[in-house]
Amino acid sequence: MATQPTNLEREFSFFEQHRVEWAQQHQGEFVLVFDGREAGFYGDYESAFRAGLEKFGSQSQFLVQQVCAVEPVFFIY
Amino acid sequence: MGQVSFRSGPGDLQQEGPRVRIIISAPREEIDEGRAVGLEYPDPINVVALVDTGASLTVINPELARSCKLRQTGFAKVSAAGNQGLYPRYAACIKFVDNLKGFDVIPVVGCKLPQQSISCLIGRDLMHRWRFTYDGRTGEFSILD
Repeated sequence: MATQPTNLEREFSFFEQHRVEWAQQHQGEFVLVFDGREAGFYGDYESAFRAGLEKFGSQSQFLVQQVCAVEPVFFIY
Repeated sequence: MGQVSFRSGPGDLQQEGPRVRIIISAPREEIDEGRAVGLEYPDPINVVALVDTGASLTVINPELARSCKLRQTGFAKVSAAGNQGLYPRYAACIKFVDNLKGFDVIPVVGCKLPQQSISCLIGRDLMHRWRFTYDGRTGEFSILD
């Protein structure tokens, strides 16, 4: 039986569907996603995280993801 | 702005790498808000971190993320030891035992680290705020923030 995606995986899937569109206006910014909708763009991770806590509370799971047309790969050597 | 110097001797520095002690927890605002609605959070945890110029991101052991009850906020595509995949990204607060400025809210990636004595790799995302000096001849390194 396939495992069900978590809330955050669903939010990430929504992000993936819109990343190219959002990158046209918000490349490099951090998007806040909650409940299958975009909830704002922020200049840095910290601001987006704080906004998520303020808007949705500590018991809600929200996504903060940097907007890039192509997902960057981070290397650990 | 402060400078902290660490001396361990040439052999130890070569063998162990530049290590610092950090104190990691969920961000303060999250703890305050969570506690206000009855959630419990552990005390901040003091662990050894390796300053790793080869890591573009700061990485922690997944067990540490669970122990600190860090909130997952997303994913990062990471290539480590030839394997590439999506890893969880958490919001954390990192302070330093030594006299360096801490980070109130920063993203860290959960990825199993091979060396048990190291729980965190401090990557270049945190190092961008530092001048980092490594002197292999004297076995000393220093951080200016």
